Amino acid sequence: MFTKHVSKELSAYCQGELGSDDSRRVAEHILGCRRCRKDLEEIKLGIQFAERITHAPAPASLWREIESLLDQQSIPQRRLSRRRSWVSWRNAGLAAAAVIVTVIVVVSWYAIHSQDAPWEVVRLAGNPTINSDRIGDEGSLGVGEWLNTDASSRAQVKVANIGEVEVEPNSRLRLVKTQINEHRVELARGSMQARIWAPPKLFFVNTPSAVAVDHGCAYTLDVDDAGATMLHVTMGWVALVLGGRESMVPTGGRCDTRPEIGPGTPYFDDASEALKKALAKLDFEAGAEEALSIVLAQSRPLDTLTLWHLLPRLTRPQRERVYDRMVLLIAPPAGVTREGVINLDETMLDIWREQLKPVWQRDDPAIWKKLLGSVGN
Amino acid sequence: MEDDTPLPRLTPKSMEQVAAMRKSEIDWHVIEACRQGDRAAFQLFFEAYKDRVYSIALHFTCDESAALDVSQQVFLKLFTAIKSFRQDSQITTWLYRIVANACMDERRRSRRFVPLDREGEAPGMSSKGSQEDNLMRRQLADSVRAAIADLSPKLRLPVLLKYIEGLSYEEIAESLGVSMGTVASRLNRGHKALARKLAHLRDELGSGGF
Repeated sequence: MFTKHVSKELSAYCQGELGSDDSRRVAEHILGCRRCRKDLEEIKLGIQFAERITHAPAPASLWREIESLLDQQSIPQRRLSRRRSWVSWRNAGLAAAAVIVTVIVVVSWYAIHSQDAPWEVVRLAGNPTINSDRIGDEGSLGVGEWLNTDASSRAQVKVANIGEVEVEPNSRLRLVKTQINEHRVELARGSMQARIWAPPKLFFVNTPSAVAVDHGCAYTLDVDDAGATMLHVTMGWVALVLGGRESMVPTGGRCDTRPEIGPGTPYFDDASEALKKALAKLDFEAGAEEALSIVLAQSRPLDTLTLWHLLPRLTRPQRERVYDRMVLLIAPPAGVTREGVINLDETMLDIWREQLKPVWQRDDPAIWKKLLGSVGN
Repeated sequence: MEDDTPLPRLTPKSMEQVAAMRKSEIDWHVIEACRQGDRAAFQLFFEAYKDRVYSIALHFTCDESAALDVSQQVFLKLFTAIKSFRQDSQITTWLYRIVANACMDERRRSRRFVPLDREGEAPGMSSKGSQEDNLMRRQLADSVRAAIADLSPKLRLPVLLKYIEGLSYEEIAESLGVSMGTVASRLNRGHKALARKLAHLRDELGSGGF
């Protein structure tokens, strides 16, 4: 299917210069286009470097030189006679200091607060409240405020200009931060559906057992009363992170978390029920060997998503079993060796992951054919 | 050397006006006073914009004396021509158009841009703190500065207006007298060029992840 590449729009996309529709169009294209994703990474890197440009204070002599030139040009000097209400030269040092302090305070205040604008909230059903006040048909959610829904209430929250969140019944959501480089909410319990069309890593959801990091996508998060979280991604990628453990979940993937454990291993919706059950046991219960055997036996090429994530979470003998199963499903690329993977060589793991990502994203049937053909089964 | 020139004392009313200034905005009272030839208003305007104008000039020319010349020309031009400024447009747009023209004029006139001393620190850009603490940051800043100096002037100006002044694409387009699409295209090319020139320093940015 023909789609127009978006490479030329990527800087504007990253810098919030596109309208909502264009931003969404670009985000959706990026999800399905490896070439534009690669370009996006390059643009983001360039932006990061450009942001390191330093300011240079003008030399103190500059004004004197300009004033001298102005005098030579006979600029009218009417300040004392006709503009006395504007300026006086008395107590000049004190006034200048006051001006500087005032400007600094105003600019600082603006820098700190201008991006903390509250988010719009629309009532979808029932009687949602912000803190304990009913919102009517519309309301606004400020930083630090809680949006609550009861069993019959639902609400939609506009996430600045980068997306929207629907808050389902029996949920509790707090706006933690909203600034140009970070928008963060806390989902204490309940369920929310997010649709975000911003560049990756701008929108975060804190839950009791992990932080969901948006990578340009649509997803659902459910948090139960014990703080366990379930993530279901319907478009793009989402990362769940906590305490150094990270699970990346693509479209059609799910991942469960538990308090004090963090993210479990991601798996696909259409994985076998036996695999899902065994994986839950492997992640959060005892009985690892038996559960691992079931996971390995039930794995398809697509489930290399699960197997790749398991590698650093298992013992060395268990990693050997996982590796041996993975290579039967999809052969590793050149430069990735058994010994390296078993030893958790980060470079090799990264190379293999990059090879597998198109499979996990179900990008292109031709890629499947090529990768599976290399295994010969 | 101390500057003996007395600074103006603002009336309570004008102090409120200054307090209302946000980032790059000077209110119409100041501009009107400049139009009337009020030197103190000139100085107020100058103080608000001097560092940004000088920074752009220095990054563009890579030469301290050329940057001073450009800055002088910019403010002189602005102050002497401000009577013709129409209040229905943004003063900042006009200012940065003058900056852009002055930078390009300087380049055409003198052709004296010298390659940046990549081993040393460009004048006026020293970082604060101990050398040891800032060494990595300085090295990265030096590399970024050199990479920007390598950009063509057409790409360099929008990058400087974006990252020193923080202008929107629309404001950059107005300042340079080009379309927003051209700005987007030039920034895109500028970002890509910086990424390619500086890719070996990616780890020093502290980014990572999936």
